[in-house]
Amino acid sequence: MNKSTSIFGGVTIIALALIVLMPILLPSVTLATEILIFALAALACNLLLGYTGLLSFGQGIFFGGGAYSASLVMLHLDFGLISALITAILVGASLALIVGALAIRRTGIYFVMLTLSFSQMAYFLAYTFSDWTGGDNGLLDVPRPALTLFGITISDLQSSEAFYIFVAAVFAIVFVFARRVIHSPFGTTLVAIRENEGRSSAVGFSTNHFKLVAFVISGAITGLAGALYAMLLNFAPLSNVELLMSENILIMTIIGGTGSLIGSIFGAGAIVMMGDLLSSIWPRWMMILGAALIAVVLFLPGGLWGGIISLTSKLSSIKVKKNLTSEVTK
Amino acid sequence: MNLYLFQVVNGIGLGMIYFLISVGLSIIFGLLNFVNFAHGAFYLLGAYLSYTAVSITGNYWLALIVAPLCIAFFAWVCERTLIKRVYHLPHTYQILVTLGVALIIQEVCISIWGPIGKSISPPDSLKGVLQIGDFYYPQYRLFVIAFAAVVALLVWLLLDKTKFGALVRAGSEDAETVSLLGTHTHRLFSITFALGVGLAGLAGVLAAPIKGIHPFVGPEVLGIAFVVVVIGGMGSFTGALVGGLIVGIVQSVMSTLWPQGASLMIYGAMAFVILLRPYGLFGRA
Repeated sequence: MNKSTSIFGGVTIIALALIVLMPILLPSVTLATEILIFALAALACNLLLGYTGLLSFGQGIFFGGGAYSASLVMLHLDFGLISALITAILVGASLALIVGALAIRRTGIYFVMLTLSFSQMAYFLAYTFSDWTGGDNGLLDVPRPALTLFGITISDLQSSEAFYIFVAAVFAIVFVFARRVIHSPFGTTLVAIRENEGRSSAVGFSTNHFKLVAFVISGAITGLAGALYAMLLNFAPLSNVELLMSENILIMTIIGGTGSLIGSIFGAGAIVMMGDLLSSIWPRWMMILGAALIAVVLFLPGGLWGGIISLTSKLSSIKVKKNLTSEVTK
Repeated sequence: MNLYLFQVVNGIGLGMIYFLISVGLSIIFGLLNFVNFAHGAFYLLGAYLSYTAVSITGNYWLALIVAPLCIAFFAWVCERTLIKRVYHLPHTYQILVTLGVALIIQEVCISIWGPIGKSISPPDSLKGVLQIGDFYYPQYRLFVIAFAAVVALLVWLLLDKTKFGALVRAGSEDAETVSLLGTHTHRLFSITFALGVGLAGLAGVLAAPIKGIHPFVGPEVLGIAFVVVVIGGMGSFTGALVGGLIVGIVQSVMSTLWPQGASLMIYGAMAFVILLRPYGLFGRA
């Protein structure tokens, strides 16, 4: 295993450094928390889009499902922090199992259309069952329970710093897990499916099985992100299951860079920060998002992270050239 | 009884508007093999342009002609500068690029016309109500049905009886061969894209006096257009017409009973059709 693929190698260190630096460099800790939560959702989306080649407009279903389910079990059944998060993971995974099992029966544009129709159905279902979801008003007064392990309360998580540390720990665990997944034989098979589904199936992989597992993992992580978002806001809005949420998660993934997990932090960071900093100055900042989306697809297929990588490699090649020429002149 | 008749006629009007939106999406997909996620945004832009045209000139008829032409021209420019660069890319990329275009159009519309919706009133000559026995119906809505039907007929004639239509149909089968036989497919593609998008703009203009103009309606319109195209069959003219009418009537009749239920039903139907009959009612395998 070389340095770049080992679990605690290069990229993981950069990710950990970002997690530590973000709350120091950014104007507020809450902003950093929001970035990490959406980075989780983008990372999960990346597993589907970047590694398996599946463009899903259904990520909002899992995000909203996680937010609603965690909120409901905390409000009505007095679930604690960990058990509420596990509920969200399970609900996200089950929703992804249902959506995935149906959607992967079609490919290409019809696959996209299926995820789109499920996304719309989820929204109208959430709107209809307003007794459970709060409808347009959303679910209010969602608690943020204390972090308790084996009966010992570690932190009440009420301060935004404490909650950030908790979210950062969750993110780090998921990040390491996701890297483990994509560098496993399972992950390389996903990439093979993305590159050439026909050939992967011809050499004997049951591609639908792999796609479905990718869906379930993605749904579980997205559900977890949704639950954390509800705890951050103390609120689970209907907009979580809107098509716009799915679009936003997709855009973060693409702008950050498809096919690189760390890109998801950059994508989520760029968009959450733009939303936070620009929306007060210039409410129409989404225009930039549209232009950025087009630019990334046409000119920067690796997204922000891909851009950074190629920039650094260009810089280092310039350095190498300089060294060479200086040696020659000697 | 009259109430249901009223809802059904409303549904036909709505269905004709959905047809105009969807037929363009469908032809563009059929010929260009291109998925246009900006289609709803062009509808929105058409509606706003008609608002401006009406508020400047006070003449709805002028708006009805000028706004769709402007949209078609704008679409042509988009195609020449941006869209043509994406044809060879996978559908995923086409979706993302046009999603970006849709976002830009929507935000530009809000910058120009503000975040609060606008409304325009129907032309004076159509403000009245038509009475047949004890059934009353607004004249403008009848006009929409008639006008859309004429446009549908013209589009059908264009696709079925002219050389241009023959090229579009041939190109939908095999664009490469059409190109090898000496047709400038680039020009064919641009014109088809402009035509399809112009029809969406026209739908926006026709719908504006009935539904008003809301800046965030683009994605909703796009969603419905996809439902129609999927139910009718991608690339099929008849499919867009029948699909549009089905969706319009279902939405209209359900609107008094359970509006979210209507949306659940049509999106459910869309998923059902893709899973069981991906080529829709009138598409071919």
